[in-house]
Amino acid sequence: MNRWLLLGVLLLGGLGTHSLFAQSLTDCHCLIKGVVKDRETRQPIAGAVLILKETGRNAITDAQGQYKIEQLCQGTYVLECRIVGYKVIKTTISLQHSAEEDINLNEDEVHLQDVEIVARRIQAPLTQKSTVLQGQALEQTRGQTLGDALKQITGVTVLQTGASISKPVIHGLHSNRVLIMNNGIRQEGQQWGSEHAPEIDPFIAKRMTVVKGAAGVRYGSDAIGGVILVEPEELPKNGKINGELNTAAFSNARMGVVSGTLQGGIPKWEGFGWRIQGTLKNGGNIRTPDYFLANTGIQEQNFSVTAGYRTGKVGVEAFYSQFQTNVGIFSGSHIGSTSDLLNVIKNGEPFIKVDFNRQIERPNQLISHNLLKIKTFRNFNGNRLNLIVGRQYNRRAEYDLHGPQATTNPALLFRLTTFTGDLTFEHKPIASKVNGQVGLSGLYQYNFTDGRPLIPDFEQKNLGLFLIERVVHQKWEWEAGVRYDWRKLDVFQFIGTTLDPRLHYFGSWSGTSGVVHTAREGLSFRVNFGTAWRPPNPSELYSKGVHHGAAAYEEGDDQLKPEVAYNLIGSVDYTHKRFRAELGVYRNLIQNFIYLKPQAEPILTIRGAFPYFKNVQTQAVFTGIDVDTEWEIITNKLIHTQKLAYLRAYDLRQNNYLVLIPANRLESGLRWQLGKALKCDNTYFSLNHLWVDRQRRVPPNSDFMEPPAAYHLWSVVAGGDLPLSKGKVLQWSITVQNLFDTAYRDYLNRFRYYAIEQGRNSSVRLKWSF
Amino acid sequence: MKQLPTKVPLFLAILLFIGGCGKKEQPTPAEENELITTVRLKFTENGTTNTQTFQWKDLDGDGGNAPTITSIVLRASRTYKLDVEFLDESSTPAVNKTADIQSEADKHLIAFTPIPSSLFTYTAGDKDSRNFPLGLTGTVITSFTNMGTLRVQLRHQPPINGQPVKNGTITPGSDDVNVTFSITVAP
Repeated sequence: MNRWLLLGVLLLGGLGTHSLFAQSLTDCHCLIKGVVKDRETRQPIAGAVLILKETGRNAITDAQGQYKIEQLCQGTYVLECRIVGYKVIKTTISLQHSAEEDINLNEDEVHLQDVEIVARRIQAPLTQKSTVLQGQALEQTRGQTLGDALKQITGVTVLQTGASISKPVIHGLHSNRVLIMNNGIRQEGQQWGSEHAPEIDPFIAKRMTVVKGAAGVRYGSDAIGGVILVEPEELPKNGKINGELNTAAFSNARMGVVSGTLQGGIPKWEGFGWRIQGTLKNGGNIRTPDYFLANTGIQEQNFSVTAGYRTGKVGVEAFYSQFQTNVGIFSGSHIGSTSDLLNVIKNGEPFIKVDFNRQIERPNQLISHNLLKIKTFRNFNGNRLNLIVGRQYNRRAEYDLHGPQATTNPALLFRLTTFTGDLTFEHKPIASKVNGQVGLSGLYQYNFTDGRPLIPDFEQKNLGLFLIERVVHQKWEWEAGVRYDWRKLDVFQFIGTTLDPRLHYFGSWSGTSGVVHTAREGLSFRVNFGTAWRPPNPSELYSKGVHHGAAAYEEGDDQLKPEVAYNLIGSVDYTHKRFRAELGVYRNLIQNFIYLKPQAEPILTIRGAFPYFKNVQTQAVFTGIDVDTEWEIITNKLIHTQKLAYLRAYDLRQNNYLVLIPANRLESGLRWQLGKALKCDNTYFSLNHLWVDRQRRVPPNSDFMEPPAAYHLWSVVAGGDLPLSKGKVLQWSITVQNLFDTAYRDYLNRFRYYAIEQGRNSSVRLKWSF
Repeated sequence: MKQLPTKVPLFLAILLFIGGCGKKEQPTPAEENELITTVRLKFTENGTTNTQTFQWKDLDGDGGNAPTITSIVLRASRTYKLDVEFLDESSTPAVNKTADIQSEADKHLIAFTPIPSSLFTYTAGDKDSRNFPLGLTGTVITSFTNMGTLRVQLRHQPPINGQPVKNGTITPGSDDVNVTFSITVAP
């Protein structure tokens, strides 16, 4: 029932309202009643507002989560449920009965519709635009990296280092300016590096949410460009064992991915649930339309274990995950000097070409990430107390091509240990209208760097306190919050072999305020003004040396001040019959924006002269528009989608553009839903086109090479659900990316100097749920 | 069914985290294992024991103090034996890397590029196991009086996917050393 309802809610999003029946003999003694519950805890929710869109009639749930709307005429209604802190739910209800003339029928027998509403608590800020990737859209990305999965969201692009390392970019910001919340915990790896991809197995996620814009109040420092929430499915509560097996096979790189999940409860131990999950990935050299890229294989092994116990009142959950990957770095990208780089750019293709090979050699990265997390909650008198504690250990070993030690020791080894603790208290609704939470976040982290000098060892402590309150009043939802963060950073810098310790204190306020207004059915507006901050990281403060691969000598500045972002973001959601559109506009002003500024004199080293860059601060402004449209040309049969992302990033002090900003892009899709075909249900076929413009907004002479030309990419997907015995389903899909094997380069790929992008890639995905 | 008291898992959690902390190690200075600070060129005129040494030296590695470079002065129409040495003089005692390069001759090539090319002709005097030049030692024949620059490169040309790439030319691989001397061919 619940699942059906949720599905109904999803499907209804784009369908609009159903007109009322024209009735002459109207029976107006119908009744809708039901209960509103939290999907996760199954606790009733008090103070939820239920509105019948057609009549404006409404009700508020009582302490038991029950509501009742009486004296309704028969017909079809859209019932909307709103609760602060939860997603808005809409469901269609048909109030009818067979004997229309019998006015004196017992209400409870015929006219009654009993609707249970299951609400999902929203983790994302209410008034800020967030986009969720789940279901089929997520399934179609299985086997790809986290960044690649997210780039189908408008406004999200990827920063790549070759095809196997990709980082999500939100509204032009990435790395330390985008925060990833892995299952409630800040993901703490070596985020500052552009060649450091998030260490998360995307198969853990059943839902990925991208919050666009500064969201510093709820999530703390670094949430300048946006936040990515990676959320698994809730643990099962009953004893039945079930699971799924995902496989994906790719023609390019001859990559195979297998991922399985098994979950269940313990019979007769109501409330206990467990899950084990694991993923294996293996790929070889990537093929471009013209040649293979030497040493671009990947091997990945991940697993996670979850166990928990929960009732309506109390719950505890332990989660452990391990992520382990060995990524080959394209050998053609290995350069020793600026002249090496200029030579390969001049050559237009790698000097050395090889055949397909699975072996991973130097240079490569060996990365492991362990996360242990314990989450508990307790509900009392309508309040809720959450505690999440976590420990992460990130080990990143980067092996160079060089010398005798390359075979045994990494050229660079980072070991980062992070402890986090978050305590939040969600109070019960005040006057059924105001809901909110207050929270305390702590972080303790230390890092060791071994090998070639790059960044010093450091230790940091962080404390944050926040308060967010939300109000729902009729068609308006308001949200406001404030936070203070404090950080102490100890840096263990060595001058030669003498320790020269440094100490930094940083602190900053963050704030957010916003409103959502539902003007009428199918039209809503939201505006949010939020701030977020980010203290400079040890790399920006203390790095000194040649950045291999970038052919640049980079130098930090220990006087840098924290960055503060002021982000204004507004959006309009419009639905009319078979048409749906979302328009988002943003302006993100970043004070003390840290970037690498080219210096006049190059640095002369034993490997020749390198361009010299220093970390400096400026005032940067990111302005952009995201547009999403969906048009059902033929209802439920033929759907056209379009996504437009426009971004302009400007340095207000230098009066010039910023470097490495994603180019504007337009993506169009045509999806044909065949329904039942080829013995399958939900069969579909879709054709997609992506156009990425050439980045024309770059400062002059800022790069070794002009930004690459605009490109067009085509892709096709076909899929369906093959029913197996006993209601089991095998979901399949076939995808061809870069259908015409187009040779292109992307401005946000650091390897654009060395090689063209990946060529055609056909893949088959199978998902068997049992 | 009886409910577990909240405190038990909470207590366990705290215990686990305290246990997980352990002792932290002390920070240590970074160590550059592959540093080359000095390139030494030794020219010995044929038939004599008269050796002139010129060097390119950057003791504090990349950045910091600028390197010191001595200018090469050779005499016209002479034949010289040229020996090259690579050293790491950042630590005491200094480490001579020349033998390492010799033992990995199949992965390395030392290239000399005089600009203009009429400054001298160079012929490597040593070979690797696949009969390609290495260049740690060689012969320089100067012609007429001239001035210009000499670029010395240590090319690192390791095999890719198990296939050797060294082919005697400068093209494959990357620079381990890429330094430029000024050179005078005096009368």
